[in-house]
Amino acid sequence: MSFRTKIFLSITATVVVAVWIVAAVVSALVTQSFERRDEQRTASLVSELQREFSRRGAEVARRVQAAADSDAVQRLAVDLGGHLDTSQYYTEAQTLAQEQSLDFLELVAPDAAIISSAEWPARFGYKEDWLAQPVDWNAQGVFLKKEDLANGAALGLITVRSVKAGDVTLYVAGGQRLDDEFLDSLPVADGTHLQLYRNLDATLQPRSLGSKVADQLVEDVQRQPRQLTRVSDAASITAIPLRGRDNQLLAILLIENSRAELVSLKRYIQGTAAAVGGAGVLLGLILSFWTASRVTRPLRNLALSVREVASGKWDTRASVSSSDEVGQLARDFNGMTEQLVEQRDRMIQAERVAAWRELARRLAHELKNPLFPLQITIENLQRSRDASPEQFDEVFRESTSTLLAELGHLKTIIGRFSDFAKMPAPQLEPVDVNQIARQAMQLFEAQLQAPGHTPVETKLHLASDIGQVAADPDQLLRALRNLVLNAFDAMPRGGALTMRTSRHDSKVAIEVSDTGEGLTPEECDRLFTPYYTTKQHGTGLGLAIVQSVVSDHKGTISVQSEPGKGTTFRIELQA
Amino acid sequence: MRLPVWAWFALASLLFGLTPSSLLGAVRPHYGGALTVELSNAWTTLDPGSFKAALSIPIAETLVRINSRGEIEPVLAVAWQHDPDFKRWRFSLRPKVAFHDGEALTAASAVPSLLVALKQQYSDVSIEAGGQALVVECDHAIPELLDRLAAPGAAIVRKSDANPLIGTGPFRVTLWEPGRRLALAAFDEYWGGRPYLDSVAIEFGAGHGHADMFDIPPGPARRILPEGVVTWSSEPRTLVAITAANGDTLLLRGLALAIDRTPIVNVLAQHKGDAAFGLLPQWLSGYAFLFQSTPDVMRAKQLVSQARLGPASLSYPANDAFLRSVAERVALNARDAGIAIQPMPTGNTNLRLIVWPLESTSAADELKRLADQLGAGDRSKQLDPSKPETLYEFERSLLDEHRVIPVLHLRENYGIAPRVHFQAPAQTSATDPFALHLENAWVDQRAQP
Repeated sequence: MSFRTKIFLSITATVVVAVWIVAAVVSALVTQSFERRDEQRTASLVSELQREFSRRGAEVARRVQAAADSDAVQRLAVDLGGHLDTSQYYTEAQTLAQEQSLDFLELVAPDAAIISSAEWPARFGYKEDWLAQPVDWNAQGVFLKKEDLANGAALGLITVRSVKAGDVTLYVAGGQRLDDEFLDSLPVADGTHLQLYRNLDATLQPRSLGSKVADQLVEDVQRQPRQLTRVSDAASITAIPLRGRDNQLLAILLIENSRAELVSLKRYIQGTAAAVGGAGVLLGLILSFWTASRVTRPLRNLALSVREVASGKWDTRASVSSSDEVGQLARDFNGMTEQLVEQRDRMIQAERVAAWRELARRLAHELKNPLFPLQITIENLQRSRDASPEQFDEVFRESTSTLLAELGHLKTIIGRFSDFAKMPAPQLEPVDVNQIARQAMQLFEAQLQAPGHTPVETKLHLASDIGQVAADPDQLLRALRNLVLNAFDAMPRGGALTMRTSRHDSKVAIEVSDTGEGLTPEECDRLFTPYYTTKQHGTGLGLAIVQSVVSDHKGTISVQSEPGKGTTFRIELQA
Repeated sequence: MRLPVWAWFALASLLFGLTPSSLLGAVRPHYGGALTVELSNAWTTLDPGSFKAALSIPIAETLVRINSRGEIEPVLAVAWQHDPDFKRWRFSLRPKVAFHDGEALTAASAVPSLLVALKQQYSDVSIEAGGQALVVECDHAIPELLDRLAAPGAAIVRKSDANPLIGTGPFRVTLWEPGRRLALAAFDEYWGGRPYLDSVAIEFGAGHGHADMFDIPPGPARRILPEGVVTWSSEPRTLVAITAANGDTLLLRGLALAIDRTPIVNVLAQHKGDAAFGLLPQWLSGYAFLFQSTPDVMRAKQLVSQARLGPASLSYPANDAFLRSVAERVALNARDAGIAIQPMPTGNTNLRLIVWPLESTSAADELKRLADQLGAGDRSKQLDPSKPETLYEFERSLLDEHRVIPVLHLRENYGIAPRVHFQAPAQTSATDPFALHLENAWVDQRAQP
């Protein structure tokens, strides 16, 4: 991660966290404030509803009393007292209910049989046994009651009045329906919604009240009737159980206070926080650029200088634009590169000298061997001419043959050196590496099969899917031939020579392994140094040529060896 | 127990007031005056065959009629004979009878009306006219011909562009606005003597209580009757019953056990009908009491639970408050038995609450009509009017097959203002319990209308 990125992230994180903390604190305070307001509003509404219920109850009681005082009811009571037929009154409740704007009204005989029912006219003659209880109905207030209707059940605010006529009592039970329309008529504040769950008949009242919170709340209150409040994201809902005369749970009033205002305010806070956070991120971006331009530019220049030095430009110098730690670092870097250049020059000079020495030693060594027979042959010629002129011709012929052989030897040595000096640039073309490997091995087949030759087993493990590489086939063959020859030389007492090709990703590898004596780590390090050899008659150019070829092909060569365990050379070329 | 004198006086006064003495015309009748009538049903035709109400509007007359004792009486025919095979009938027409337009009634003028009426029942019937004699002939025996000729549809009428119905009855049509009003005037040349009333004005679909006569639909209307108005009730003449649209006899069987008819008659119908356990009313069949039963809700419940009856719907004629209340009560009774029934006005329902007005005083004919309606018309050939047991067995089979549930028989009820009186006809000793005959009515013009 770049320094600029780190600065950017640091500034951004600082701004965002700060904004988040502020937003969270403000949001929590607002939520707390709204919840307090909701509680107050609910309490106020409950109080208001209780007053409204009382008022409606009083109104219902007044209307039922008016119905009980009506001429028709009084006449009915008289007829009842006279044990007359009351069937003519069976629609009377409907008329009275209409007059008094009552949803429910029943005229009930002393034996609790319905004489007339406004809400279910067909029920005349059926019994309302609950009215037969020994209760002073006129002293009773208004209560909630489940009312059976033809199409189900309803909830009503009911009151009962008894009308005496002689020794008989006529009951007038009436009231108003407690339904959504009733709730709609109640004064509620904006954002407050009332719902009535009628706990009368599961088949009539759908279970779902529009939200899972409300449904759960109803279930909780049904299990244990009590006032409960639940809060969701959308609303806070308070459930108030409504009970009948016998304390049975008849309905649950749900007061839902919308939290839309709170949610809106929260969204505003979140939006503001997001905007401030976004601005913080933008600010961080600008600051990071500014800081980078002010703080990291010397460092980037220094890093660029380092990379240039690494690429070989030893004369690169870092600019020093300040006197702070970064400027000191640049100055130290420049001092270091100057020292490195001086050391490099000294080392090159020393290596050059060493190379010339090695070359001189090698040349001296290589040339000394043929020179010595030349000298002996010439001296032998001289002695033969002086001591045995009659045998001179014979000696001359032999000596000239030897001289020519040794001169040829010298020419070969000089040719090798010349070849190494004149390595041509590779002519790249698609090459089948396996084919080259087979050719390299075939060159030595005859030699291996010659009688008396040290037995060496050859193995070819060529991967079939390596494809072709861009290479100069002659140079590659030459390199592999050198490695094979090197392997033969490493196994004077025989062994196994293995050539293996393989492909790894975008590289093709060629391995040449022997089971010879192996090399020490020091020998491995110097193995590719020109004119370095571990063999008595080697020129030290074979592996140097191999490395030169591989290098010209943009490839790499490596060696793995342990004394006594053989050696493996591995060439990797770009596929 | 001895009653004091004042009590006897009071009782006598009460009896005098409650008995149909006013209908009998205890006061000497007077000619003249106009009678106003309000009917809740709107008439749309003056076709005599469509007159099924108990209130008789005497515009047209038949050759014969059936009196309150079920006997055939002469009207436009004064005498008749038939051959032993009942294939050939000869009628002598009443002389000096005129149509409302002044044309004399002759056998030739009676033939068209009779032919139309009789051809509907006897395709091979032929009628020959000669002077005042009519000969009705058929290839097969027609012993019931007199019953057929007594039906309102066999009235002798004529029509003209100016007059939709020209008959020979005591009243002639002076104004006819279908569905709205009908005005009649006394026919001075009526063969039976001019009626008491000068005119009759009938309004259809009007509110009750403001006319001299008005019909009272079933239901609790007694308390709204104006002071002094008396009610007249006919014999039960309309069957209210339940049928199953798809022949669901199991549902009808369960429902028949659940229905309690007594509250329906006493409360909903306000005693203006009788509980119906048979299809024909007792006065018509004479054996209806044999079908009486009591509700058995427990058995109905067992039946319902065994049959696993699903919810059903019961349709009733729309805009009929009384039948709606009956349907709702039936649904309530059904609910007690575990049958869920939803009453609804008309529509495609499992059950139907039907109204079946009697069209004749022939039990056999009415049973045949009912059998046709219930899809058992092919078996009605076994009915023999001369053998009441065949009628009983046939009706019993219809009930046992649960094709229909009779609920109640309704009477027709009319409110009659105190100034209206009915004079019993000379040939009868009492008022006709089946119909109100306007030709016998007269008004006390001293009283306020």
